[in-house]
Amino acid sequence: MTEPTTHTYQVNARLAIDTLEAGSGEPLLFLHGAGGLAWDPYLDALAERRRVIAPFLPGTSKSNDISQVRDLWDLVLCYYDLLDALGIASADVIGHSMGGMIACEMAAVDQSRVARLVAIAPAGLFDINDPMPDIFAMLPQELAGRILIDPQSELARMLGALPDDVDEQVDVLIQRLSTLNAAAKFLWPIPDKGLIRRLPRIKAPTLVIWGRQDGLIPVGYGETFRSQIPNARLEVLDQASHLVQLERLPEALKLTLQALQGQAGHAP
Amino acid sequence: MKTVAFNLMPYKDLPADFEKKYASVWVTIPRTLYDPRKGHEYYHDYLDALETAVDLGYDAVGVNEHHSNGYGLMPSPNLMASILSRKVRHSDTTSLVVLGNSLALYNPPIRVAEEMAMLDVLSGGKFIAGFPVGTSMDTNYVYGINPSEMRERYYEAHDLVMKAWTTEEVFTWNGKYNQLRYVNTWPRTAQRPHPPVWIPGGGSVETYDFSLLNDYSFSYLSFFGHKYAKKVMGPFWDRADALGKDRNPYRAGYAQFICVSETDAQAQIDYEEHVKYFFAKCMHIDPRFFEAPGYRTVASLRAGLRSQLDGTAKVGKAILDEGFGWKELVESGYIIAGSPETVREQIIEAARELHVGNLIWLFHVGSMPQHLTLKNLHLFAEGVLPHIRNLWPQWDATPFWPSGFGDPEPQDARHSAA
Repeated sequence: MTEPTTHTYQVNARLAIDTLEAGSGEPLLFLHGAGGLAWDPYLDALAERRRVIAPFLPGTSKSNDISQVRDLWDLVLCYYDLLDALGIASADVIGHSMGGMIACEMAAVDQSRVARLVAIAPAGLFDINDPMPDIFAMLPQELAGRILIDPQSELARMLGALPDDVDEQVDVLIQRLSTLNAAAKFLWPIPDKGLIRRLPRIKAPTLVIWGRQDGLIPVGYGETFRSQIPNARLEVLDQASHLVQLERLPEALKLTLQALQGQAGHAP
Repeated sequence: MKTVAFNLMPYKDLPADFEKKYASVWVTIPRTLYDPRKGHEYYHDYLDALETAVDLGYDAVGVNEHHSNGYGLMPSPNLMASILSRKVRHSDTTSLVVLGNSLALYNPPIRVAEEMAMLDVLSGGKFIAGFPVGTSMDTNYVYGINPSEMRERYYEAHDLVMKAWTTEEVFTWNGKYNQLRYVNTWPRTAQRPHPPVWIPGGGSVETYDFSLLNDYSFSYLSFFGHKYAKKVMGPFWDRADALGKDRNPYRAGYAQFICVSETDAQAQIDYEEHVKYFFAKCMHIDPRFFEAPGYRTVASLRAGLRSQLDGTAKVGKAILDEGFGWKELVESGYIIAGSPETVREQIIEAARELHVGNLIWLFHVGSMPQHLTLKNLHLFAEGVLPHIRNLWPQWDATPFWPSGFGDPEPQDARHSAA
């Protein structure tokens, strides 16, 4: 895998945002989920064709503090500020899970800044008749069972691995908890912050990818995203759960790259 | 030393297989297990017991707040306190503690300022206001407060309540979580400038400093007793030294189960079943709800994680799961139990060790029936209370205790009119 470089951008008076970046070409913004940002094979493959910029959610990297972001609205503005700091007027945006929710918000709030949108099992809706479980009241092994179709797989072992050294273990666990802390700010107590009202505003052509066996956000939510976003396509991949882009890497990659080659949305 | 007779008001008839059959006594406890007829009986028994404590001359009677909880049946402790205020107002010795209202849960928090002012007035200026940050179960999981906002909300609510109590003019509040154009809390509190404030906590550094810097009394509320409490009270007093505060023991309190009987052997016969009910059922809390992400600061998390990973942490139910019996519970200090003589010796030893002036006495444990509750209250009042009252003769409790109707004018005026 390519070793990504880390960068820090002072995006406004209060906040710096750290990123992992690799590749060259047209910029591609990737927003991670509540599990945190790791440079994974999906991002690595994308970086072979594009300049991938993957920001850490504020509060999940060393250089900043989640208390500097007041709410979801503030967060969306911070990501626009990040685009400004990068000198990017309009970018393709991919978001996974919580990151998918944020990506949808970005595309809905300022239609000029997101050219194409790929939402992978996005959060942001809550169906009381088909509720997603509470990720904040789950033991670690339960969570693993819900985000992966096979919690015994090599991928699961890789994601759950802990270093032997106690100090390093503390660091890894603190990193995970800090990420969950920051995510809770935008997802507590349920992740419905009114996104469904804003989805129809999205102008960017949108690909929604879902794992059919998603144990965290039921696959039925995918149809709601598809039907509420005007120019959206839904692809459901079989034999995959919530980490669909890693569990079905070749297929997810192919779909993503196809979507990114399509005609971009235009600013109104 | 001052003794607060304190009642959690537990549900006493959880099924025998409760901890095996159900996931948690808190948050998701099935509400179908609640029988309102039994609840009716409990509430009145518990209030009777607290009123008895007033008659017996305890320094205070105390209640607290929990939600969706089988061992604490007071979602609104203020309701219970308002009933008790009627009795307390006639007492020369007994004050009223609500330990307390979880400030971050109230919207707007001036509701707390208003209700506590009512309690202060009702009780005749004999009211102590408790302000816990609150557990994750109550605040985050049941009341839905975002854990990332909890401490900020708590501090802002505290500042708002204090300003509401101490500002004589109508004012405007423009906070992050509360915006109020007109703050003007009626009634005023009876005590000036406000009732004494106690901060119940679990021992985070932030809470030590908050209590000490404001000259509030810190109460360590755990169910694990005096030996475990050393870990918390030691650092508290170190912090007091560091901040240049005196070591007035009334700056601190701690909670302790205490069961008094005629003899040590009789205490086991009387109380063992009920103590075990508490630890087996009332401490049966689903680990999923222990702590919402963001509830603790990263610094506190880091400290906690180290001891978890290197094996030094061992608390609460984990110990009980290892087969703790009566003997172990007593020896480990989880409960103080025995004859009045045994009990007072242990209390004095614990209080000296912890350097605390306020004993939050959990006089009712688990499924304890009313006759034992009353027996405990009477034996303690006769055989223990007189021996611990003068434990800290050189220290003045008044900065941390109510003044009663401190402002004599209204009373004089009322009497002369009569």
